[in-house]
Amino acid sequence: MPNPRKPERSVVTTCAYCGVGCGFRAETIGGEIVRMIPWKEGKANHGHACVKGRFAFDYYRAADRVKKPMIRGSITEPWREVSWDAAFAHAASELKRIQAKYGRGSVGAVSSSRCTNEEIFLMQKFARVALRNNNIDNCSRICHSPTQFGLSATLGAGAASQHFDSILQANVILVVGANPTEGHPVFGSLLKRRVREGAKLLVIDPRRTETADSAHCRADVHLALKPGTNVAVLNSLAHVIVTENLHAERFIAERCHPAEFAQWKALVGDPRYAPEVVGPEAGLDPEDIRRAARIYAKGPNSTIYYGLGVTEHSQGSTGVMCLGNLALSVGMLGREGVGVNPLRGQGNVQGGSCLGSWPHMFTGYRFVTDDAVRATFEKDWKLELDPEPGLRLPNMFDAAVAGTFKGIYIQGEDPVQSDPNQNHIVAAMAAMECVIVQDLFLNETAKYAHVFLPGSSSLEKNGTFTNAERRVSMVRKVVEPLAGLEDWQITVRLINAMGYPLHYDHASQVLDEVARLSPAYGGMSFALIEREGSVQWPCGPDAPLGTEVLHTKTFPRGKANFMLTGYVATSERTDERFPLLLTTGRILSQYNVGTQTRRTGNVAWYGEDVLDVHQVDADARGIRDGDLVAITSRYGETQLRARISDKVNPGVCYTTFHFAQSKANAVTSNLSDWATNCPEYKVTAVELAKVPVGKSAAAATPAEVRA
Amino acid sequence: MSAPGKGDAVIHVDVLVAMANQIGDFFAPYPPGQREEGVRNHLRHYWDPRMREALLAHVDATGGAGLHAHVLAAAKLLRAAPAEKSAYAGPPKA
Repeated sequence: MPNPRKPERSVVTTCAYCGVGCGFRAETIGGEIVRMIPWKEGKANHGHACVKGRFAFDYYRAADRVKKPMIRGSITEPWREVSWDAAFAHAASELKRIQAKYGRGSVGAVSSSRCTNEEIFLMQKFARVALRNNNIDNCSRICHSPTQFGLSATLGAGAASQHFDSILQANVILVVGANPTEGHPVFGSLLKRRVREGAKLLVIDPRRTETADSAHCRADVHLALKPGTNVAVLNSLAHVIVTENLHAERFIAERCHPAEFAQWKALVGDPRYAPEVVGPEAGLDPEDIRRAARIYAKGPNSTIYYGLGVTEHSQGSTGVMCLGNLALSVGMLGREGVGVNPLRGQGNVQGGSCLGSWPHMFTGYRFVTDDAVRATFEKDWKLELDPEPGLRLPNMFDAAVAGTFKGIYIQGEDPVQSDPNQNHIVAAMAAMECVIVQDLFLNETAKYAHVFLPGSSSLEKNGTFTNAERRVSMVRKVVEPLAGLEDWQITVRLINAMGYPLHYDHASQVLDEVARLSPAYGGMSFALIEREGSVQWPCGPDAPLGTEVLHTKTFPRGKANFMLTGYVATSERTDERFPLLLTTGRILSQYNVGTQTRRTGNVAWYGEDVLDVHQVDADARGIRDGDLVAITSRYGETQLRARISDKVNPGVCYTTFHFAQSKANAVTSNLSDWATNCPEYKVTAVELAKVPVGKSAAAATPAEVRA
Repeated sequence: MSAPGKGDAVIHVDVLVAMANQIGDFFAPYPPGQREEGVRNHLRHYWDPRMREALLAHVDATGGAGLHAHVLAAAKLLRAAPAEKSAYAGPPKA
C-alpha cells in the first residue's frame, strides 16, 4: 500500500464538534483538506481524537453547500441569488421596517456555539448596537443555560471547576445524565483510563450507557432512575450525607454560610428524601442510593461530571444546584481531583455562555440591569444601551406566536429541527416577516427564511473557541471561506448596513475588545494563546497564564451558597394514553442535528435514528426488532424504526436526534426549566404503535419515509 | 393556550402565569419574605419588561387569577421596589 501523500500545508486548529475542543493538524493538498491529524500538543486531547473530529470534515465541501447570498419576498417564492451588498441592504431595511411598524423589541438574534467567541460576541453586539435592544440569545439556552444559572447560584461561577486532566487525581467519579464515551469521546477515554486505574465509578442515568457498562468501564453503582426524578434522587444522596453525618463540617464552616447549610440540611434531611421513600418513586433500590452517597462522600477525591440529562428538565437549574450543594457538603471543591463539571455538547457552548450572548447579561455573566457594568459598554461603544433584559429564544418564539415578534437573525442554528415542540416552532417561524438565516446549508429553518447569508465553516475562519474546561484555543483558517466571508465579517457588514459604524481588520481585534470589557478574559489575546497553545480563563493580572482549577482559596462571591432544592415533579406525566417515557441522547459517530456529520462518511456507522424500546414494552404492543413504529405524544407524532434493547428499563424508550427526517422534536413538549426556559427534552410521555406494513411508504426506505 | 392575537400581551398571559408559578415553586421552600423576594429578583432581572407588564396587567385585571399566593405577592413587589435593588445570583436576599 502506498504511503499517504505528503501534505502541502498543515494548520493547527481546534475541532468544532463537542465541548472537549481537541487540537488537530488540518492537512491540505491542492487547497483542499485531506486529513485531520490529532495534535499531540493539544492540552485538551494530548494527541487523541474521535471519529467525528478525525473523519467528519468533508461536509465543508458538500455539494449542497450554499455559496451565494439569497433573498426572497415570501417563503413560498423561490430563492434569488444576490450580491452580499444587496443581501445586507435588504436584511437591514426589513429589520428597520419591522421595528418602525411593531416596535424596537419586535426583532432579535440568536448566536451559535458552532461559531467562534469573536462571532458570538459580535452577535450580541449586533442586537445591542444595531437593534438597540437585548433580544439576543445563544443556543446554550436549549442545553446548558441551567449550568450557568445553577453553578452561579451555588459556586459563583457558571463553568467547570476543573481542567480535564484533574480527573486523573480522582478516586470517585460521579457521572450524572451524561455519556462521555459517546458524547465527549476523548474525555470519555480519560475517564475510562482513571476507572481502569482503580477509581470508583457512580453513574446516574436512565439508560445503561457505554459509560455505565462497557468492556473497560463498569459503574460500581448505576442508578438507572426514572426520567424526571433527578432532583429527588440527588436530594436523597444529600439526605444520606447529612443524616449519616458524612458532611465536611470544617469546609462548610470556613467556605460556606453555616446558616444556609442548616437550612439546606433541614430540607434534604426531611424524611421525604430518605432513599426508602425516593427509591420506589424513582425506580431504584434504596440501598443503591445509600451506597452511592457513602462512596461519593468518602472520596478522598470525588468529582462530578454531568450533561444534558441534568439540565434539560423542568427542574434543570435545580438539578445543577443539587450538584453544587452535594460537592460543597463534602468539601469536594478547590483542588485537583474534585469539582463539578458540565460536559458541553457543542464546541463553543462555554464561549456562548461567556461572551454575553444573553438577553439579561453582558460578557462575564454581568447583568444588563447593572448600571456600572452597562456604563463600561456604553463608553466603549459610544451608545446608550437598553437597560432592561430582552427576550430569551423560547420567549421570542412564544411572542412570535402571539403576534408581537416579527423578525430574527439566526446564526448557525437550526431551531426548526433542534428546538422542542416542532409544531410550535414552525408556527412561530411562519408568523415572522423577516427571518435571516446564516448557515452553510439550507437547513430546516431556512424553509421559513427570507434572507440566506452563506456562512463559513470553522475550517474557513480565524477566531477562538472556549471548551468545557474554560480553555480558549485558536481556530485557524485552513482554507478560504467558500462563500467569501468569515462569519464574523458577515455580522459586521450587517451591523454596518443597520447604520452603526464598526470595523475590525482581523478577528484578533474582536478578542482584544472582549478582553477590554470582560475581567475573566482580561488577559486574553491571540498573541498569548499563540504562545501558550491555549489558555484557561480566568486570565488576568492575578493569573497571567490562566487558571486550571477554580475556587482554590475563595469562591467568586467569597463564600459559596447552599441553595434550597425542593423536588417538584414535572407536569409531563404518563397516563393511560401516553404510558411510556421517551428520553433522547447522542451517538458517537454523529453530532447534534447532523448538519455536518450527516454529510460525511460517518453515516456508514449510523445512518438513521432508531428507537430503543424494552422487550416488555415491545411485546405488549406486538413490536418486533426493526419494525417501524409510530411515536405519539401530547404534542405530535413521528415514526422511527424500533430496536429491542436492554439498555432502557421497561417504561422508558430512547432515541437520538441526528436526522431531520426523524422529527424527534415533533413529539417533545414545550415545558421548560423554571429559571432559564431550557426545554425539557429528556422527558416526554408517549405511546408506541406498530405501523402496519404497507401503511407507510416508509417501510421500504426507512431513511426517507419520515420526511 | 389562548388564541393567537388575543390581547396585547407580548406573550400569551397563560404562558406567563405558568412560568411565574414555576419560578414560585422553586422559591417555595424558602421562609416567607425570602420566597417572595426570590421570585421578585428573578422576574425583575430575567424577564423582558413587556413580560412583567403583561403579568401585572393580568394581576390588575383579575386579581392574579391562577397565580400562587407568594407569586402574586412577588409580582406586586415589582411595583413597590422596581429597580433599586441590584441583580444578584444565589439565595434570595430578603
